[in-house]
Amino acid sequence: MNEEAVRLLVVDDERGIREGVRMILGAEGFDVVTAEDGQAGLEAFDSQGPFTVALIDLMMPRMPGLELLGHLHQRDPDLVVIIITAHATIDSAVEGTKRGAYSYIPKPFTPDELLLAIRNGLERRSLALEARRLRDERESRLLEVASERSKSTTILKCMTDGVLVINLEMLVVLRNDAAARIVPGLAARPVPFALSELTSGEIRESIVDVLEGGGPQILMREVSLDEHTYMVNVSPVLDSEDRISGAVAVFRDITALKALETAKSLFVSMVAHELKNPLAATEGWLNLLVSDLVKHDPQEERHMIERSLIRIKTLRTLVSELLNLTAIETGNFSLRRAPVDVARITREAVESQRERADERDIVLTLSGRGEGETGMVLADRDALQMIIANLVDNAIKYTPEQGHVSVRVEQNGMYVRVSVQDDGIGLAPEDTGKVFDEFFRVKNEQTASIPGTGLGLSLVRRITEMHEGSVCVESAPGRGSTFTISLPLS
Amino acid sequence: MTAESRTLVLVDDDRDFLEMNRKLLEGRGYRVRCFTDPQEALEAIRELRPDLVVTDLMMDGLDSGFSLARSLKQDPHLGKTAVIIVTAVAGQRGFDFSPEGPEDLAAMNADAYFDKPVSPQALLAKVEELLA
Repeated sequence: MNEEAVRLLVVDDERGIREGVRMILGAEGFDVVTAEDGQAGLEAFDSQGPFTVALIDLMMPRMPGLELLGHLHQRDPDLVVIIITAHATIDSAVEGTKRGAYSYIPKPFTPDELLLAIRNGLERRSLALEARRLRDERESRLLEVASERSKSTTILKCMTDGVLVINLEMLVVLRNDAAARIVPGLAARPVPFALSELTSGEIRESIVDVLEGGGPQILMREVSLDEHTYMVNVSPVLDSEDRISGAVAVFRDITALKALETAKSLFVSMVAHELKNPLAATEGWLNLLVSDLVKHDPQEERHMIERSLIRIKTLRTLVSELLNLTAIETGNFSLRRAPVDVARITREAVESQRERADERDIVLTLSGRGEGETGMVLADRDALQMIIANLVDNAIKYTPEQGHVSVRVEQNGMYVRVSVQDDGIGLAPEDTGKVFDEFFRVKNEQTASIPGTGLGLSLVRRITEMHEGSVCVESAPGRGSTFTISLPLS
Repeated sequence: MTAESRTLVLVDDDRDFLEMNRKLLEGRGYRVRCFTDPQEALEAIRELRPDLVVTDLMMDGLDSGFSLARSLKQDPHLGKTAVIIVTAVAGQRGFDFSPEGPEDLAAMNADAYFDKPVSPQALLAKVEELLA
């Protein structure tokens, strides 16, 4: 202990004592402050503190020593208080030690007695402080452990993955709320319970494999429970010496992932099928052409080549539509939007289909608002022209020769509408809801020879929706169809 | 019996396959009738009593080709009709229809099975074999 730093307050009404103590302790390196009565002592403590040691006389004017002791202890419980007392007041001094004074020295005292008492007091004080520091530290660590535990418990409780902990005695010793929800029959069962009570054999086996395997391996398997699919992950719990002391099973719901996986395989399978048909037809025609099994006829051969070309064109369209669709799905189909005159785009789209209409003797007309007669729409002009051309192309395909396809541009409130009406074969009521689905194609006697990919209208819907617009269809079998795109004005 | 006296029915929802097989088989002297709808085909077959039917499996009604074949084999008047199944669905949608032996063919009520496209030589050879 560095005695230079020790400040000491002497409160005594006898000047001789005050000065004597100042002399003795000052020489020993103490920093001594004196006061001549209880009140002055309290004031000095408050104004000149902090002090480590106080020497207090019991019999003093204004404030007796015991009262001062009470005040000082209230201010600093660690203050080392030593009572200086005459023989006559030994009983009071004893009372003082009961109230927290460290000790008392009867007057008169020698310098050695004084120093010994002070040093003992300081030593006890430092022991007490050290003990308290240790106690505080232990308490704060306990608090920390308690709060860590409550954190882990909260995290486990809030996890969406189910967690089971199993010990070497094959007892389930912990399950979180998610596990209770996921694993049938677990909600009502208090832990611990025997692993053998788990109804799912697959889960039991995995856990037993890990516990008995003894190695660090982690088992993963898909398990179906109550129409959900879970990825169950069982890993060993190893102690500090890498010995297995239990197992943790984590259940993750992968139902949605599995559904996506199924949808993806179905999509791939449908694409493959749609690719294979036109390829097989083309190959079939070319096989026949080179086979020498049909008699040589230039007109017939030309027909076979033309049919092959039509199927190849379908293939090419399918591939580019698939690429567009993929681009939309992956967010790589970026629209370059600028103010667009829909009437003008529509005219261009209609003109691009004029030749096809003429080939089939179909009357293709454009009516309604002309260029500059509607508000502008914020759109990607190429994408917009593609989908309008797609609707016109569809109308021409599904309308018998000498039919009519009429395209009309209208403005209705805050929307511009483009409608494509035909008097073709129309759609059955059960099909109208499906025409915008990927790969949906109406297959019947009338459509059998019409090439198509089943992706065109799906692209129309997606691109329209990317423009915050909508597309709808009205149709009746034998009376034709009307497809209408509505786009918001900018 | 000459080819001329033989009637063949082709069923497929793809016009190109109907047309190419018709050209091939008519070129060899067979009488050929084509249908895109299996129900219509079945009705016509009951009337025509063809010697052989070439049918697609048709994906719309997944088993429309199978049920056509089954209807033929179960009909006492048509049980002798040879059936060739030609399809593009092999290996599609997780189904594998490819028969591996006569038992599989029998289970499909078919006498022969081809994956599309079947070479004209192979189809012709099978038709001639079944009608021999």
